[in-house]
Amino acid sequence: MVLLTDFLQNTLDGLTLGASYALLALGFTLVFGVLRRANLSYGPAILFGAYCATWVYLKWSAGLLILAAVTIIGSIVAGTYVERLCFAPHRRGSAIAAMVASFALWMQLEELATLVLPKHLYAFPALYEGPALALGALTLRVESLIMLGAAVIVCGLLWWTLYRTRFGTAVRAVIDDASAAELAGIDVPRVFLLVFALSSAIGGLTGFLIVSSQEQVTPMLGMWSTLKGMLAMMLGGLGSLPGAIAGGIALGLLEAHSQWYLGPQLRDFVAYLLLFVLLAIRPPWMSTRSAS
Amino acid sequence: MLNVRDVVTAYGKIEALKGVSLEVAPGSITCLLGPNGAGKTTLMLTVAGVLRPRKGSILFGERDLTGLQPHAIVSAGIALVPENRLVFPHMTVLENLQAGAYQRKDDFEPDIEAMFGRFPRLKERAAQQAGTLSGGEQQMLAVARALMSRPKLLLMDEPSLGLAPLVVEEIFRIIADLHRDGTTIFLVEQNAHMALRVASHFYLIEQGRVSFSGTPGALAEDELIRRAYLGSAH
Repeated sequence: MVLLTDFLQNTLDGLTLGASYALLALGFTLVFGVLRRANLSYGPAILFGAYCATWVYLKWSAGLLILAAVTIIGSIVAGTYVERLCFAPHRRGSAIAAMVASFALWMQLEELATLVLPKHLYAFPALYEGPALALGALTLRVESLIMLGAAVIVCGLLWWTLYRTRFGTAVRAVIDDASAAELAGIDVPRVFLLVFALSSAIGGLTGFLIVSSQEQVTPMLGMWSTLKGMLAMMLGGLGSLPGAIAGGIALGLLEAHSQWYLGPQLRDFVAYLLLFVLLAIRPPWMSTRSAS
Repeated sequence: MLNVRDVVTAYGKIEALKGVSLEVAPGSITCLLGPNGAGKTTLMLTVAGVLRPRKGSILFGERDLTGLQPHAIVSAGIALVPENRLVFPHMTVLENLQAGAYQRKDDFEPDIEAMFGRFPRLKERAAQQAGTLSGGEQQMLAVARALMSRPKLLLMDEPSLGLAPLVVEEIFRIIADLHRDGTTIFLVEQNAHMALRVASHFYLIEQGRVSFSGTPGALAEDELIRRAYLGSAH
């Protein structure tokens, strides 16, 4: 019975962790699916947003809604800056050049953030201050519930944007064939910029939920977000949005269970081992081409 | 209507177009002939804004289109049906048509109905993914998608490429129909026999230069061209 309770509790924890990974992966995959290029500065743009919010919090003790808005706007500003500098100039050129350029901006954004707020750890106001919910023998933090709810809402809104709006038609056309899209009259550079803004907005929202759940922010948030987003995307198949969600949830479950049964030292090891095995055997879902 | 003047387009150091000048008269079907690698597709892509000319200019009516982005060329009134009919394979036929009308702010529903009237096969397959269509159907979809932007000038790059003879007949019937309905057409075609039946003016392009310009009659009279493009059938 205790074994079963442990298993269920880990699964529940894994799901909420997985929801945050799924959200990070959605943002990362959106850019990868549309541009076929990896944006390494994805996480650092989120870090930039979170540090803007921390700064606003330290200066004016602003409320949560304002901090959420500042995180998202800060991430969008940093994300579109990355697009203009790293991706727009290499639109028809080398994918490696764009990726390396985005690595350079990673350093730049991280340096900028730590220059303004140099301590290694800052407190961030709590998303929810009440007690956790008890479900029989299981406990569920309200923050986790908010994270799960946010994941569902973002997935729904993203689906609606892609399949029910004019902008979504343009995005899917660019995913299918960028050359054909520009001949159909779609302003492809503008679509790229807007996709970056959307990706950064999803990343910023996720970053806000993560730091306010953890009630702290460190400069590691940038690297952590890029790595988790990329790992979850790769687990779910490169460039597929449903795959990103599945990959995020799978990564969360895997981490929660391996942390409990194998110890925290082996947590990341198990995730990277699985990725290594999957890349070696390449199951059919990992060769998906389309992001829609 | 379209005025290409001394256009030079290069891939790196290799000049694919070495100073091409030609004209497409309003209301005409103008056909560009030439061997593989002569620069036909390069010229189409240059006019459509995908490639930037290194020298020369492209005028459309009074407007200078030189160096504009492809989407700006579409809004100026030129649409290209590219070689190998690039449809959006993971989008439905209907969504492909909607994507073609991306620039339009007005209600384009009547145009979709008009396309379905002109291409009944597309109506049957409206909800189907474009990648599952046959080659001929994809070509019709590519033409219909280009028409959704209501172009004044339609560029077509080898619309008969790789299609069965009966489908080629159908494509040329559509070209003739579009022309009758007032669209000016600038066509690249290897199939000179089919092109002779519809086009009113011909250009021959060889090694990046225009080597012949004239009417179908003049084309058929030119001994060398006849041998190269029309075979011995005439």
